[in-house]
Amino acid sequence: MSLKRILSLAAELLMLVLVFLLIIGPMMSLFIWSVAHRWYWPNTLPQEVGFEYWKQALGMRTSLAIGAISILPAFFLSLGIAVVVVIISMLIAIPAGYALAKYRIPFGAFIMFLFLMPNAFPQQPIFVNLLGIFTRLSLAGTVQGVILVHILVGLVFGIWITSATFRSIPSYLEEAAYSVGAGRLYTFFHITLPLAAPGLLASAVFVFITSLDEFTGTFFIGVPFVSTLPMTLYSSSGYNMQYASVIAIILLIPSILFMTLIQKVLRAEYVGGMG
Amino acid sequence: MCLMYGYPFLSSIVRSFINSQGEFSFENYSKTVDLYLKDIVFTLAVTVVSTAVSAALAILLSVYLRLRQSPVSRLLTGLYKVPIFIPFVVVAQMMNTFLAPHGLLNLSLTKLGMIDLEYPLQLFNFYGLTFGFIWKMIPFSVLIIHGGFQMIDNSYIEAARSCGAGLMRVITRVLIPMNRPSILVALVLVYSQIVGTFTLPYMLIGGKIPTTITVDIAHRINYFRDFGVANALGVFSYLLVLLTAIYYLRSSVKKMAGAQDGEG
Repeated sequence: MSLKRILSLAAELLMLVLVFLLIIGPMMSLFIWSVAHRWYWPNTLPQEVGFEYWKQALGMRTSLAIGAISILPAFFLSLGIAVVVVIISMLIAIPAGYALAKYRIPFGAFIMFLFLMPNAFPQQPIFVNLLGIFTRLSLAGTVQGVILVHILVGLVFGIWITSATFRSIPSYLEEAAYSVGAGRLYTFFHITLPLAAPGLLASAVFVFITSLDEFTGTFFIGVPFVSTLPMTLYSSSGYNMQYASVIAIILLIPSILFMTLIQKVLRAEYVGGMG
Repeated sequence: MCLMYGYPFLSSIVRSFINSQGEFSFENYSKTVDLYLKDIVFTLAVTVVSTAVSAALAILLSVYLRLRQSPVSRLLTGLYKVPIFIPFVVVAQMMNTFLAPHGLLNLSLTKLGMIDLEYPLQLFNFYGLTFGFIWKMIPFSVLIIHGGFQMIDNSYIEAARSCGAGLMRVITRVLIPMNRPSILVALVLVYSQIVGTFTLPYMLIGGKIPTTITVDIAHRINYFRDFGVANALGVFSYLLVLLTAIYYLRSSVKKMAGAQDGEG
């Protein structure tokens, strides 16, 4: 082996270690905090570790420390909101995505434009003005209001993915079904929908994750009455590092799982605007 | 969508011109410039630096992943994607613990003897925020840019090589020019996302001065219920992304029109 090859291999390994440390480092830091019972300066690692804070967060043990409330209610609230958001979004996204993919609909270009806007402009002013509107409709601070905002955020990407999925299904398959006498609805439910199932599932999971992680919209519309998991994370991060880290890890797991699942079909357009 | 997105969008612009008495005026804007000019500049600086650094590093990493087939590069292909779906609120908490004066980064650097823990790096400012954005945005940029590099056929690279082009020339004369569209899209999306991100600066810097526009908007709403100035700040954030937004919208619409014609 020549010197040059050894050097390039060494450089490669060095880069791997660096990238690994930079990606894993912050995550490690979260994990260490979540199990740190006592961690005083200047120790590099906590002096005492254990799962006390996990137990408190999961409601298995109660504590009188500030902010140490069980996160289970917030967890189930987030889960419930996410499920409702997915159901409503998919009921809209499947027909809308199909129409955008297969037909030339009136104002199609305008609708597409509207759906590109959230990628191009900051969304926060939208939430601010929705707060004004929702206050008048007395939706501010309610779960319904938060669900509406989550749908707004998730639907854009939901429709992108469903319409891309339907577009990828060759239309001759549908035409073949028509030619042997199948009706439009029959064809849609027996030919198109099964073929599109993986893409639609990806879209649904994407909307689910978006809703689970949504912060900014909930912050403006839901506060102080709707306390989702990200909101709980925020409010405990000020004074209870361990607690906030436990919640952060709980939120981290679905995102990484989703990442590994969706690897193959991952496209850049879907990712923009997450978080 | 029109109701939930279009109307608030227009209303954010209209209301920025209406003062507390309900009249048309530029009051909100003069107040914004008085109070927050520094923060607007800060936002722009953080965004430009984060975008530039993540783009540069992302291009380097993508070039490496494109040209090198080895066990290490395959490992990296799996590894780099990990942060893509991690929400900003989690990234913020991570950075809160990682970058703290006595956080893991400072402790590790002390162990390596690079800094003195009596004087830890203070990172809850421009540098930490930029680090957080870069951490989150490089994977996203690599996803787009690497995807573009994959589309370039090997024959182009081999042709350049056989004409005697070295590695640098292959990169600067073949790979990057041929991949210009996806590099630009990555730049544009990263830039506009950073301008609009609220969670990370809010949790990392909060109300310290200087902070970002997004944090100022939240303060204006939470403490003063001042929709006028909040919307004027919002319009400033629109202005910051105006050029990138126009580029993005135009190229996307063009691409879509192309796709539709191709089908018909």
